[in-house]
Amino acid sequence: MAVALDEDVFPPLKLLLKAQSKEFVRTLFHEAFRYRNDTVPISVLKNVATTLDAGLDDAKQLLESLISVVCAALFECLMEPKAVYELFPENFHKNLRELISKIIAENMPLWRTNATNEQVSLPKLIDFDWRVDVKTSSNAISRMSMPTCIMQLQVQENATEQNSMPAVRRLNVELTKEKLDTMLDGLGKIRDQLSSFPNSN
Amino acid sequence: MSSFFFTKAPPEEQMYTDIKSLNKFEEKAFCQLVDVVFSFLVSPKEGTRFMSQVAEFAGEHGVSTNALKNVVKSLLNFFKSALKSNLTPAQVKEDMEHLGLSAENSPHVSDRWKANLVALSRSVVGQTFMVNQLVDMEWKFGVTAGSSDLKVVGQTFLQLKMVVDRGGTQEDVFMELTLPQFYSFLHEMEKAKSTLEYFS
Repeated sequence: MAVALDEDVFPPLKLLLKAQSKEFVRTLFHEAFRYRNDTVPISVLKNVATTLDAGLDDAKQLLESLISVVCAALFECLMEPKAVYELFPENFHKNLRELISKIIAENMPLWRTNATNEQVSLPKLIDFDWRVDVKTSSNAISRMSMPTCIMQLQVQENATEQNSMPAVRRLNVELTKEKLDTMLDGLGKIRDQLSSFPNSN
Repeated sequence: MSSFFFTKAPPEEQMYTDIKSLNKFEEKAFCQLVDVVFSFLVSPKEGTRFMSQVAEFAGEHGVSTNALKNVVKSLLNFFKSALKSNLTPAQVKEDMEHLGLSAENSPHVSDRWKANLVALSRSVVGQTFMVNQLVDMEWKFGVTAGSSDLKVVGQTFLQLKMVVDRGGTQEDVFMELTLPQFYSFLHEMEKAKSTLEYFS
């Protein structure tokens, strides 16, 4: 199934023919993936422009085209070079078409993992630790032996600003044995349900 | 003057008077009053029920409610201190007799103390404050079908909502876990549980 990409996406890609090495084309695709949802920084554009001996505007158009191709391939999850190959019009430069297809297909597993990790979500759990205390005395009773569990959860909040790491929040909660039992009961239910569909990853 | 188990400082005169005044009740009435006091100690949140029980008792036995309240107050003070020092039934009996309780009634106190001791300690221990107590946990899980980046994702997610008591105000905390995180979380919590069980 072919994805419809606009006709004007392809002409700027011809600029890649000026590239000195395949390695540089690879780097460009990585940049395109990285900035697919942001504006490309001017430093990157300048670098591309000087290396390819082109104007800033040309470099910008090239990056935009690359981003379109990467996004289209990513969205459809094109794992095979052949599938990426199909994206291009028939009259496109044959060798370049093959190179791009190869690069995109080989990066697809990595990009997919990254994209899944970056996708919109609630605050994420990063890490957790626990400790068990035994309370031995208090203002109400001079001797007792009451174990409790203290749990620290590190939760990464959603980023509110671009280009800055979102804050990690630490949450400490105290659990009695009963609370912990109740919680494990809930978690156990989740596990049972999860194991009922074996294909989950 | 003999020393007491429930307190190091000598008790106030009022306490002697109050405890002695208990002697005028018959055995049955006395036991009833002690039961009322214990039921309040076991569930201290039932304050209004306790007050109405005291008033009812006063009406039934023809004593003034206010006077009875003072007596009950002394009893509560005594039992709270006794609980704090983990007194045995025999020690409670001895202290009660020292305070002037008749030998007919004192065994009833120690019997009831013995019977309620576990519930009483549990209630006191339960009242010990906790920091950021977990109040509730809600969860949901499902599969991410697609996103703006990827047409087909197919990744399982798990979302938790924890309600935490922050000293009066409750706070909701949301978080999302991946499956491997969930399994390691479950595993760690089971480890914590077995540690807790080892100590209790």
